[in-house]
Amino acid sequence: MPRAKHIQKVVILGSGPIVIGQACEFDYSGTQACKALMKEGLEVILINSNPATIMTDPELATRVYVEPLTPAYVEKVLELERPDALIPTLGGQTALNLALALDQQGVLSRLGVEMLGARPETIRAAEDRERFKEILNSVGARAPQSEMVRSFEQGLELADRFGLPLILRPNYTLGGGGGGVAYSREEYEHKLVQALRESPTNEVLVEESILGWKEFELEVMRDRAGTFVTICSIENMDPCGVHTGDSITVAPQQTLSDAEYQAMRNEARKIIEAVGVETGGANVQFAVHPETGERVVIEMNPRVSRSSALASKATGFPIAKIAALLAVGYRLDELRNDITGTTPCCYEPALDYVVTKIPRFAFEKFAGAKDILSTHMKSVGEVMGIGRTFQESLQKALLSMEADERGFHPVSFIESQLAFPNSRRLLYIAEAFRQGWSIDEVREKTQIDSWFLEQISDLVEMEKKLEQLPEFTPEILLRAKRKGFSDQSLGELKGLSFEEVRSLRRQWGIEPFFSQVDTCAGEFASSTPYYYSTYWGKAQQRQSGDRLVALLGSGPNRIGQGIEFDYSCVRSVKQFQKNGYRVAMINSNPETVSTDYDTSDELFFEPLTREHVGEVLRHIQPLGFVAQLGGQTPITLAPGLVEDGFELLGSSLDTIDLAEDRGKFIEVCRTLGFQIPQSGMAQSLEQAREISEQIGYPLICRPSYVLGGRRMEIIESLDELESYFERHGAFVSEKNPCLMDQFLDRALEVDVDLVRGSDWSVVGGVIEHIEAAGVHSGDSMGVLPPQRLKDEVGRKIEALSLELGNSLGILGFLNLQLAIRDDEIYMLEANPRSSRSVPFIAKAAGVPLVDLGVKAILGLNKTEVRPERFDWRQMEKVCVKGVVFPFKKFAEADSILGPEMKSTGESMGRGEDYAEALEKAFVSSHFILPDSGEVFLSLREKDKEELLPLARELVAMGYSLSATQGTAQLLSSQGLNCEVVKKVHEGRPHCVDRIRSGEVAFVINTTSGRTSIEASFGIRRSCVDYAVPCITESDAAEAFVLALKRKMSGKIQVSPLNLTQMS
Amino acid sequence: MNQGSAFLVLDSGECFPGVWHGGQERAGEVVFNTSHSGYEEMATDPSYFQQILMITAPMQGNYGVDASIWESRKLWISGFVCLVMQESQRERGWVDRLKEHSIPTMSEVDTRTLTLTLRERGTCWGAMVKGSDQEDARKRAKALISEAQRGPGDWVNAVSRNSVEDLKGLLSQGPKVAVLDFGCKENSLRELQSRCSALRVFPSRTPAEEVMAWGPDGVFLSNGPGDPAKVVQAAETVQALLGKKFIFGICMGHQILARALGAKTYRLKFGHRGANHPIRDELLNRVYVTSQNHGYAVDRETLPKGVRVTHINLNDGSVAGIFSESSRCLGVQFHPESRPGPHDAEALFDFFIKQIQ
Repeated sequence: MPRAKHIQKVVILGSGPIVIGQACEFDYSGTQACKALMKEGLEVILINSNPATIMTDPELATRVYVEPLTPAYVEKVLELERPDALIPTLGGQTALNLALALDQQGVLSRLGVEMLGARPETIRAAEDRERFKEILNSVGARAPQSEMVRSFEQGLELADRFGLPLILRPNYTLGGGGGGVAYSREEYEHKLVQALRESPTNEVLVEESILGWKEFELEVMRDRAGTFVTICSIENMDPCGVHTGDSITVAPQQTLSDAEYQAMRNEARKIIEAVGVETGGANVQFAVHPETGERVVIEMNPRVSRSSALASKATGFPIAKIAALLAVGYRLDELRNDITGTTPCCYEPALDYVVTKIPRFAFEKFAGAKDILSTHMKSVGEVMGIGRTFQESLQKALLSMEADERGFHPVSFIESQLAFPNSRRLLYIAEAFRQGWSIDEVREKTQIDSWFLEQISDLVEMEKKLEQLPEFTPEILLRAKRKGFSDQSLGELKGLSFEEVRSLRRQWGIEPFFSQVDTCAGEFASSTPYYYSTYWGKAQQRQSGDRLVALLGSGPNRIGQGIEFDYSCVRSVKQFQKNGYRVAMINSNPETVSTDYDTSDELFFEPLTREHVGEVLRHIQPLGFVAQLGGQTPITLAPGLVEDGFELLGSSLDTIDLAEDRGKFIEVCRTLGFQIPQSGMAQSLEQAREISEQIGYPLICRPSYVLGGRRMEIIESLDELESYFERHGAFVSEKNPCLMDQFLDRALEVDVDLVRGSDWSVVGGVIEHIEAAGVHSGDSMGVLPPQRLKDEVGRKIEALSLELGNSLGILGFLNLQLAIRDDEIYMLEANPRSSRSVPFIAKAAGVPLVDLGVKAILGLNKTEVRPERFDWRQMEKVCVKGVVFPFKKFAEADSILGPEMKSTGESMGRGEDYAEALEKAFVSSHFILPDSGEVFLSLREKDKEELLPLARELVAMGYSLSATQGTAQLLSSQGLNCEVVKKVHEGRPHCVDRIRSGEVAFVINTTSGRTSIEASFGIRRSCVDYAVPCITESDAAEAFVLALKRKMSGKIQVSPLNLTQMS
Repeated sequence: MNQGSAFLVLDSGECFPGVWHGGQERAGEVVFNTSHSGYEEMATDPSYFQQILMITAPMQGNYGVDASIWESRKLWISGFVCLVMQESQRERGWVDRLKEHSIPTMSEVDTRTLTLTLRERGTCWGAMVKGSDQEDARKRAKALISEAQRGPGDWVNAVSRNSVEDLKGLLSQGPKVAVLDFGCKENSLRELQSRCSALRVFPSRTPAEEVMAWGPDGVFLSNGPGDPAKVVQAAETVQALLGKKFIFGICMGHQILARALGAKTYRLKFGHRGANHPIRDELLNRVYVTSQNHGYAVDRETLPKGVRVTHINLNDGSVAGIFSESSRCLGVQFHPESRPGPHDAEALFDFFIKQIQ
């Protein structure tokens, strides 16, 4: 059964902006699929609203549509393209739901589009709890028991049948309000009463608790002929109760016997057959009782998932690629295993190593959010560590987190932090062992399988042993390295420096061996250069890398450093290769395209630390390494690596220093004629008062050495300044003064990305922020070309930026953030590297910035590059960057925007004009654009007058207005009808009740100053909870209304991205 | 503790250092298996007779021991080699069991390099010896290897039952199956028992008349260790049974069946041992993943007319199964009885039963 011949043109749906739970693993899957199907000679049409992905690079598919992933827009694309088929299994739940909607609306049948990979019935069978339960029953598997309880008596009867503990979930309450786990009869009765009352429908779903059960996942594939293979078994170290995306996981599974494992595998096969997965990848999650071995099925996904990405990287089996080929008709036995090059794909990878995944969280970004893990996913990224043993892989994964080069290090904790899963529990477990807890005691608290605890306890034993040892011996040092200890952590234990441990190690010939990920545990020869380091093997010499360049990736996704940098890395590989270089990629993130074995010439799956990267460089001896493409991570590593004797390609360390050292940088900017926001440093409130008199209000205060903008506040008055010092004074001292910067209120902000070569430069574009200064550039919407910026100011910005590039001596990328007020240009920040905005600019303006950056790094000159070909001002469309936030996941967090970045992803709206681009950007960022209804306004004093015209416009468009007393009065006095709504403290029903009851279509809530921000928290939170659009900034409100107006026109247009200008 | 330095020495003189956990110094053929789980099933599989078993999965002993999953009545392996051995206060069942049975056991061996060596050079002999002196180790290993090689060539005879054993089937109305024990795994017997009324297990050198005298409905040829060419009597027995009763052979049973049909067998460079080998089954018309453990294979070119190659190993195209309508037999090189490994080929037992009902 080779390829189905009637399929010539295929649509692949992407997954849209990065959100928690659906991240760049779907860029990996979409990219693999596009590549595979293009190679097959098919016409591939890709639809995805996320510009930061590799898959939306125009070269990757026949045509790429960066359009909203909603039925209306996708229908338009289908009408235009008339494809034979659509693959919905590669773009996460978004693509699956979208395909289902298109099917339900009859679009697919009307246009004769076949759904490949999963049929609608299959998707429904896996999604519908009841249907799925029936299927499980039919194959002799079972789901955790549950039943809807409608009365107290029924609840008691059910408890008798199910036994305790039980989980209560009141129906139709958000965020699981009123529910919980009941361990005793008494607790159950109490909670049942509460939950029944809490639910608006007086219904409570009572579920058998599987908390504490062991959790497993099988990644499986099936083809049309029924051939079934398990690609990877994954065991969660964290037992049930923590979302698998938030769990530390290990592959292959470690604690099941073959009989237990095979029983699970059999069940998985029966389930996917019964659900009707015809072809492709799927995953099935199981829970196993730690004592009885009883097994239940938690869920199954009839599609490529986050775990598929992990499984692909863990085994070397390209699940997404194979899924795409199976979808178009191939069978597993007809496809070749790329890695070995000789064997077929209908096998199950054998691993002679262990892989550990650790999720990365961002709780610190969301004030008020509790660091407690549950069945709702909260992590924003993940790392994978590969080692020969669990200990080696665990410690490598921990080092990959880029949190601390010591890996396991002393921390303090309280007992409840062991019992309640949280982002740092792994460290607390180790600390508990350090403090003398027994394995049983830790097991009692954490319910983690003793096997894992033993492994961690053994690492702590090793620490103790090392501490007691008078000095290292070759044997003990080798033993420690085999357990994955970093040189830094070993130094720490013995009072030695990282360098001292390293030189001791090398003196004794203790060096890593680079072992291959070959899918077959060495059984077959494999020529695929996918490597990991291990100390369980003898280091081998290899030839120095002729024309080999090492490329440092960006590590785990986090807020502020995500997929955009993977885009830069992957795109750059092609360009290096075009120029005759080979690329060795070094990265630790399993979700990405950059860690696909066929992206680069060689792949080293390693922690991005000075030690691990240094060992790779020492081994492969490249011409040099590139630190500009992977975000801040490689920039931070660069000085150490240069010190270790490796060649940094592109901008020199001096250039980087010039851009990053505030003092030096201000000097350069002043010489060039940039304005710099005034600033000062205060060691006390006294000093702060003086400085504030010089700078004037508003100003931004933050303690120096803040992490991620914490305790950063905009201060508008002396009162607020005093209050700031009252609250944060403890963090201000002589050593750590408070930084005070002039805040450019109402200034327009822009981002500039440029590339500078030895004798040439190209500006990629000037992105105008939609929100005024004060909102982090990653969180503000942006538009290209600028809409409000005066042309002559724009040109001056470009000219100044180029001059700055020259003064800094940039070779490669430069990203600038500037503010414009009263035609004065203020320089805010410079990043001597590729930036978050690079993929957006490249796709919006069609300027191949990454390619140009590579040429600059390689030293190509003006005649070779011909930079005059690239002019972003030639772009024909208007492109708006939309932003997506994870507030829904953090029940206690405020959705107000500020100087700290909180968004997880971005979208791009492309239109004929600004309004259309805005509309698409909002839609793509999951905003609901209501056609009518009530707009609730809660405005700060200075916005009230300013937004009057907007209010008038809303009324003219047919919306009704409501506001609290003050605003309502003003509106009424201007002849606008406005309902008066109570503030929260004025009694009920108040404005928040109104939002919750669904009476409000959207909210404009501008606010500043700590007290008012706190007072209006309820408004914003209820909007998040009930998916009511809430605009918190006046310029954004204007943009939103513009989009609403455009939407009323009802016009839906789509167009493919232009091919990037040739380079 | 019995731990100390040790070497796994190959007949080439190559030494792989490691840590000794216990057992007696011994020699054997050095083979590797790529299964992730199932150490206890493998160690009790008689097909590993005279072999030092190295598992490529790095961490062994994790989930303890369970006598109910034994594939025979003893541990047959000549040695056990891995990267890391589970040996904590809480759980040390596996290493203890190996010690109890005097199986030499080593960990911290560079199993990856050893695998690549065996893959490049082919299966070879080796010995596991204690001590830290490499030269001394080589000497002792050499002696152990030549001693072991001097043993009888028919390994099947060494592991086969000495006398007939009768087993009840689970079905009162089911067929009766005669089993020729070449080193039969328990699970083959379990699979047959669940589909039969009675089994009689015969020693490997039982003549055909004796088998026929029991009046079986079908004949099952079990798995077993070593070179099929050295198992002379059994091939004669099978030849005499051909056409009389439907015969189903697994692994060694399959090889002996092929030899009885007149085909030749040959030694594979390093064998197939693992739980992930893909097979195309043209009899049941499907592709599935199988458990494998063999060092020899049937030479396709030497198969007589009327014998179809119905199963193909998709990794290397070697013969994985044969079927003959006229001679009424089926042989498969892999292990439908699994243990360890996937159960995907179980249906072959049903196929066999269908032929004899």
